[in-house]
Amino acid sequence: MGVIIGPRVIDAGASLFSVLISPVAVAAGFPSPAQDYFDGRIDLNAHLIKDITSTFVVRVTGDSMEGAGISDGDELIVNRALEPRDGCVVIAVLDGELTVKRLRLTSTGVVLQAENPKYPDIRVPALSELTIWGVATRCLHHV
Amino acid sequence: MRRMPQIAHVDVNCFYASAERAFDPSLQGRPLVVLSNNDGCAVTRSPEAKALGIATGEPWFKLAPRAKEWGLVAKSSNYELYGDISARVMELLGRYSAWLEVYSIDEAFLGVKGGPGELLALGYRVKEAVRRHVGVPVCVGIAPTKTLAKLCNKWAKNNPAFGGVCLWESVPAEVREGLMARLPVDEIWGIAGRLTKRLNVLGIFTVKDLVGADPVLIRDRFSVVLMRTVLELRGTSCIPMEEERIGRDQLIFSRSFATPVTTAAGLREVLSIYAQQASARLAKHGLQAKILTAFAATSPFRDNEQAHPSVCVSLPMPTADPLLLTKAAHALLPHVREGLKYAKAGLMLTDLRPTGNQPPLELFENRHEERGIGPLLEDVSRRFGRGTIGLGHAGIKSGLDWTMKRDMRSPRYTTHWDELPLVKAA
Repeated sequence: MGVIIGPRVIDAGASLFSVLISPVAVAAGFPSPAQDYFDGRIDLNAHLIKDITSTFVVRVTGDSMEGAGISDGDELIVNRALEPRDGCVVIAVLDGELTVKRLRLTSTGVVLQAENPKYPDIRVPALSELTIWGVATRCLHHV
Repeated sequence: MRRMPQIAHVDVNCFYASAERAFDPSLQGRPLVVLSNNDGCAVTRSPEAKALGIATGEPWFKLAPRAKEWGLVAKSSNYELYGDISARVMELLGRYSAWLEVYSIDEAFLGVKGGPGELLALGYRVKEAVRRHVGVPVCVGIAPTKTLAKLCNKWAKNNPAFGGVCLWESVPAEVREGLMARLPVDEIWGIAGRLTKRLNVLGIFTVKDLVGADPVLIRDRFSVVLMRTVLELRGTSCIPMEEERIGRDQLIFSRSFATPVTTAAGLREVLSIYAQQASARLAKHGLQAKILTAFAATSPFRDNEQAHPSVCVSLPMPTADPLLLTKAAHALLPHVREGLKYAKAGLMLTDLRPTGNQPPLELFENRHEERGIGPLLEDVSRRFGRGTIGLGHAGIKSGLDWTMKRDMRSPRYTTHWDELPLVKAA
């Protein structure tokens, strides 16, 4: 028994997540009864990326978002086209740097919250005074 | 009243500098220049760099000594990044019009229809969408002809009152005349230095002068091409679409099909032909390309389902080899949906550089191919990294003639997994 691993994806920048793996185990020597049921591979692009033009991948440095399941070295899938809402994990521009925080829109103003008690909240008078670079939709956590 | 179709010209402001800023916010508001191949001279300047009096083409060695005092940042050309950002912008623009002509890496023409209110609203929608989705600023000019659309875009860029979108028909006639009277004739699309001097001799100094010139006289004294420009400035559309263009740093090859192509196999054939033609064109100009962008677009009829697939391929080395280019162009095929009516396809080659002293690979190519050396080299490189093995001169790690100096290149944020943008969690 062996599993067919499909051809490698070329480094074209176009399909970051195409992992080509046949879902069936193939017995050597006689045709697999499952092969008639093969109807395409799982394409991570299709499942993880809603809009290819506005989606970017970034890498996290630091531990301030650990409470949200985002660790140092993890990759985040970021959609720039999404409207930032209360509770979203966002990439914000702070002091000329891209920073990941949880966005809190409250009656008293905007708060950028860390998910680690070691780090203080950052208060911003209004959303308009903040540059939101994008909204994180997935974390690719290294296990 | 039946409205004539209009042409929107969209281009990214200071494209290379804006692409850099999209991923590095610390560059916002600072004077920034992007350098040409081999870090030779400034090819793109941010508005702050322009304000310092830095000219296009100014050599870097002259600027470097004063960079610190000015707070000037220089970046080497990052064509992988620019190619990907360009493909994203073009794909997004394709959602606003089925009729899209990619004109260069940072500009496109779109066929649009509607009353003045609708057209202006569309212009602002496009501008906002590109800023938000891709993170780069664009300006939009909309007019009955390509030449006027380009002119309107220029006004939109240089005149804050337009808010980045300028619609020809909503600018009052006297304002247009004033603007045209102030614009030197060489600011018009297609009019370059030598031609300007000859026009000046005839008393034609501004765009307004050129609009007032007799088109037939212009044709006789100059060319049909310049006559078309005059007619276009008067509102008669006559510049044909989709000519092959070669610029300083890019080659675009795109054509419409007489009958739509509906299969990936059909597009494979078309892309192969374009790649080989592009290869011949590169060879003719003594150039090689490092980045290839392939795209296709469905036919511009409303009842068809629309799609504008595109891919950006970073070639393993600069090349004009038809086989390599063809293979790279085929990266588009998995993105092509069978059954849709594709009306055009094209290739854009960027990161062009003069053909260097290449290792004499061609002489050995066939023999090596038989022994499967190509795939073996590829496997070793994949496993142990690029530059760990190579044929002849290609095996030497540094000092290759074709290796470009790019000391100040930013990460290839969107095309290389080990160079992703970093976000701080602190």
